[in-house]
Amino acid sequence: MEFVAFIIALAIAYQALKGYRLTKQRTLWYVHFGFAVLSAGLLIDSLTGFLGILARSMRGTLSLTWIGYSICFLAQLLAYSMLIYAYVSQTRTLGTTSTTVALASLIGLATIQATPAQGIRLLGPLVEYHPIPEIILLFLALYIAVQTGMNYSSTKDRSAFLVFLAFLLLTLSHLFFILQPFGPLLFVIGHTLQLLGFVSLFTMLLRVTRKQ
Amino acid sequence: MRIYVDIMHVIQREENHAKSTRILYGANLSYDRLVKYLDELKTLGVVEEVDDHDDRFYRLTQKGIEFINQFRAVERFASAFGFVI
Repeated sequence: MEFVAFIIALAIAYQALKGYRLTKQRTLWYVHFGFAVLSAGLLIDSLTGFLGILARSMRGTLSLTWIGYSICFLAQLLAYSMLIYAYVSQTRTLGTTSTTVALASLIGLATIQATPAQGIRLLGPLVEYHPIPEIILLFLALYIAVQTGMNYSSTKDRSAFLVFLAFLLLTLSHLFFILQPFGPLLFVIGHTLQLLGFVSLFTMLLRVTRKQ
Repeated sequence: MRIYVDIMHVIQREENHAKSTRILYGANLSYDRLVKYLDELKTLGVVEEVDDHDDRFYRLTQKGIEFINQFRAVERFASAFGFVI
């Protein structure tokens, strides 16, 4: 699933790069950079996950999946931050947007503070999906979903809806990753939602690049 | 950048055969600025001048058509994310 997401993220990054080369718009560079980093993270996570399954009986599997997930988390963190920065730099309404970002960060930090025993584990063994990084990603993805939702509500464009749907699904996927200790099915649902989010982005890409 | 694209849009809208006056009104430019921009577009090889029965028309070259199509795709892509080019 993550390998498919990697290919789609790479395709989005490529289209954004093409746009940047043509227009020299910085926002497109941020989109390119964000999705390029995201695709790299997804590739590493899918490869380490695959190798982890192959070498399940061997030693070192735990550290492999830990490295994979940690890199993927950092890549997602950077990618979402770049997209948020692109929205902030475009709107230039720093007063309201930075408050929202700060609020999201504060909620994330408050969650870590509320669970001090687990707070140390943030830098410790991150095996598969850990709730704290996922909570941070949830708030960042939610911010992007709100921005893209606002864009859709003002344009009523189908491509804008697909982008909004994609980030809504990605936000929900992070929610399911947080809840995955309650059942393995939630983990599967989370991955399915993540894939559907990327498929939604791919549908948008096909729509905008087709010849009219 | 935007002004070049606007000029090219007007030419394409006029079925790729536009008089300077149509471009002037369509792109909302003064005559002097239009002449300057059209010269630049001709230098870039995206627009060409055609003389037809004592009238002077402008049309997009193949390179110009490809550029405008690519630009539209990028514009739709950016707009889907809520970014304005």
